[in-house]
Amino acid sequence: MPVDLHETRLPGVGVKYTFPLALGGGRIAVILHNDGQRDVYYYRRAGDAEPIAVIELHDDEARQLGAVLGGAYERPKIVEDLELALGELSIEWVPVPDDSPAIGLSLAAAALRARTGVTVIAILREPEPVSGAQPGDVLQQGDTLVAVGKAGQFGPFRKLLAEGPFET
Amino acid sequence: VTLAELAVTVVLLGVLGLSAGRFGLSAIPAYLLAGLLLGPNEPEQLAIVRPSDVTEFVAELGLVFLLFFLGLEFSLGRLRGAGRHVGLGGAVDLAVNAGLGLVVGLAAFGPTLAGLVLAACIYVSSSAIAVKGLIDFRRLGDDETDLVLAILVFEDLAVALMLGFAATGGGGVSDSLVVVATALGFVTAGLAVSKWLARPLDRLLDRLPLEFFLLAVFGFLVGMAAIAEELGLSEAIGALLAGIVLSETSVREQIEERFFAFRDIFAALFFFVFGLSIDLSAFGQVGWIIGFAVVVTVVGKLTAGWAAGWLGGFTKRQGLNVGAALVAHGEFTVILATLASGNTLIAAADRSDLTAFAGLYVLITATIGVILMKESKQLGRLLFARSPEARLAES
Repeated sequence: MPVDLHETRLPGVGVKYTFPLALGGGRIAVILHNDGQRDVYYYRRAGDAEPIAVIELHDDEARQLGAVLGGAYERPKIVEDLELALGELSIEWVPVPDDSPAIGLSLAAAALRARTGVTVIAILREPEPVSGAQPGDVLQQGDTLVAVGKAGQFGPFRKLLAEGPFET
Repeated sequence: VTLAELAVTVVLLGVLGLSAGRFGLSAIPAYLLAGLLLGPNEPEQLAIVRPSDVTEFVAELGLVFLLFFLGLEFSLGRLRGAGRHVGLGGAVDLAVNAGLGLVVGLAAFGPTLAGLVLAACIYVSSSAIAVKGLIDFRRLGDDETDLVLAILVFEDLAVALMLGFAATGGGGVSDSLVVVATALGFVTAGLAVSKWLARPLDRLLDRLPLEFFLLAVFGFLVGMAAIAEELGLSEAIGALLAGIVLSETSVREQIEERFFAFRDIFAALFFFVFGLSIDLSAFGQVGWIIGFAVVVTVVGKLTAGWAAGWLGGFTKRQGLNVGAALVAHGEFTVILATLASGNTLIAAADRSDLTAFAGLYVLITATIGVILMKESKQLGRLLFARSPEARLAES
């Protein structure tokens, strides 16, 4: 949804951006001073004469706030929830290298869990992903494995997947 | 002037400036007050600084720096960027307040150049005090603030045209024509130079080591001021033009950063030296002019704010905020009076009256203006009932 952003120059001061807020019906004005300071004015109603809050920020603080608001530090909600539930375990998405010696083997034959402790719980592939991976599922070129394990186990897991050796 | 006198002066400037800041007042009236206290006129117990060649010279440097910065911040692009309010709001303010100023000027000095200078002194508000107030009183986010700043830009432009005239005008018609022609020639030559030399100048300044960068800019500034003075124009015009030329270069921000400190020190001394010449005993002669001018200023600026606000689609309360921000007078009034005091074509009695007027008038309007500005929203709520549309929007 496009926001109705309004830009005005303030000669001798800097630039001002104002826009109305959909939630609560207020209005925000952001002032960029020529010396780098930023002010955020918040009016509770669009027509109010007095702002109810004014935030003054240095240049570096404003950039930090901007990055936080812009979502640069954001992680998808589902990942956060999973991490919470798993405790010290984590879930990683591991692509199978195109020249992996494991291609053509079943999960049981590759014995990934037995040799590294990492469990493959799903396989992402075209056209149909495998949601509950079974020991009999065979690895194919282009697969991405969704795997659960402890943090230190993923290094050996990736190495094994890329280099083998596997008994056939 | 001895070092001890300078030390006392600077300490007093600091103390008064700081305490003015504590009360939300601008530093400009505080510096004038410092000059008034330490100067040779009343109160005489404290008279430790006498106007001399040294104080004159320091004040001249302050004037040059003030106008240099005005020029630096002044470019056509910025003027266009300030938007639709500049023309309309500025014209309303000019018509109302220059008109009322002329009435006072005519009443005080008759149809002379002194009367014209007085009109300009009354017309032009203080950008420095208004901008400080807008920041201090949290007004930057308000819609009507755009209108205030636009009007100030218009005033700066109008006063730039007036400066040269205050310093050198006032002779017969042919003399005035010569002055105007010289001024136009000088400004045109300066702008042409800036157009063709901007890039080489830019490269040169960019490459210089810091020490020589400062010297080069300072030399250019003082040189332009000196040339303007030699041509029979005012040093103010030269300094203003130096600023305009350098405002188009890529080193503008660097210059502002490096010279802020110089400007602040010398501008403080400029206002101080002006304060030295304020003679409270002259209040008997100019008292009625000051009283008349203060009333006219408050009424005129509030009217102009209301009318410009109405034309720009603002409410009455917002118009009141605009007018209140324009009541304080400061740097330009003092600059105009200083330039006029050096113009021998104005009668000596008129010149000393102008000086006494400008100092006391700035002290009074700067104080009233800041108080009005601080309370204007409260005042608006008392005076004007909320419009039905606004009440509807609220519910």
